[in-house]
Amino acid sequence: MRIIAGLLLLLISAAGSARPVSYVGGWTLIEESNRQSTAALIHYTPSPSWSLGLRSEWVRDEDYAITSLQPTYLLKRWFGQHYQANIYLQGGIGLASGTSGNPLSSTTAAYAGVIADWETRRFFLGYNARYVDAGHFGDNAMQLVRVGWAPYEGDTQDLHTWLMLEVDHRPESKDPVSVTPLLRFFRGPALLEVGFNIVDPTPLLNFTYRF
Amino acid sequence: MNMMSRFLMALLLLLLSTAVWSQHEQGQAHEHEHEHEHEQSVSENTADAASVTPATGRLTTTPEIEAALANGGTAVVADVLGVVCDFCAVAMNKIFGKQEEVAAVYVDLDTKALNLVFKPGASLDDEAIAALAVQAGYRISAVHRNAAVLGS
Repeated sequence: MRIIAGLLLLLISAAGSARPVSYVGGWTLIEESNRQSTAALIHYTPSPSWSLGLRSEWVRDEDYAITSLQPTYLLKRWFGQHYQANIYLQGGIGLASGTSGNPLSSTTAAYAGVIADWETRRFFLGYNARYVDAGHFGDNAMQLVRVGWAPYEGDTQDLHTWLMLEVDHRPESKDPVSVTPLLRFFRGPALLEVGFNIVDPTPLLNFTYRF
Repeated sequence: MNMMSRFLMALLLLLLSTAVWSQHEQGQAHEHEHEHEHEQSVSENTADAASVTPATGRLTTTPEIEAALANGGTAVVADVLGVVCDFCAVAMNKIFGKQEEVAAVYVDLDTKALNLVFKPGASLDDEAIAALAVQAGYRISAVHRNAAVLGS
């Protein structure tokens, strides 16, 4: 039963990495830091429809970290001349361990979620949802919506700038709903996002590099 | 939910509706502006074929492309669906740049086109170009060859 539940989690998973499936043979390095956790992920894309990554996530306030294998499956991609839209399923299974003197023993952890986005050169709309079960460290769920607008259309190798607004919902948090305005800078293989959560005052810092 | 959160949620909905409306208008404008013939369609069922209009079909030149042409290479321009950001361009450059037939490659986000110059005597057929684009995560809607891409 636990195995089936774990597989279901993998199939229904979600986490918030930008472009979680790359080109065939491509490696991607991702760092994400938000009001709840700080994470690093490196993934490899062996096929246009899936990638496999190694993710390490530190849940700061709860004093534990999860190190996991993270597969991502591109469920559907829509193409248009001026847009692209995607739905990804993402999961992970690994080990949760205490940090900062947390005396709890290590245990198995799993998470599952979905990522959806729609993007043109001017507008962006994205949705992430994820459920994490970290055994005796606890479980948590989150979902977020992000909208973005580019004030100009940069061409290839230009600096692309986006103004974005992220609204996240974390039911277990003392502030279940919070808002983060952020700036996205994008050039060639590198993406940097800098923001600040105005409800739960915390910086947001995300970085992606595609090799 | 406090007043600030309600205000931001309303702003979010406004931005979303503006984005959808703008995209709809843009699509309609392009349908009226372009009535060129398609040279070849290799789009798949995931592509929004109804909204596809040909790009310029003209080669975008860069120093690398000009050098490859000067060395006797032949040019191809492929219209690509779904290229909206530099990650898309990086993916196409990586995949096509590794092909031994290719002397120069450039993805132009403005024209949404993959610009290729092959080495003298080498080439890739349309199906091979389409298959490589799939490996990069994208779709080709048309391939333009020979004199047309050079504007002659």
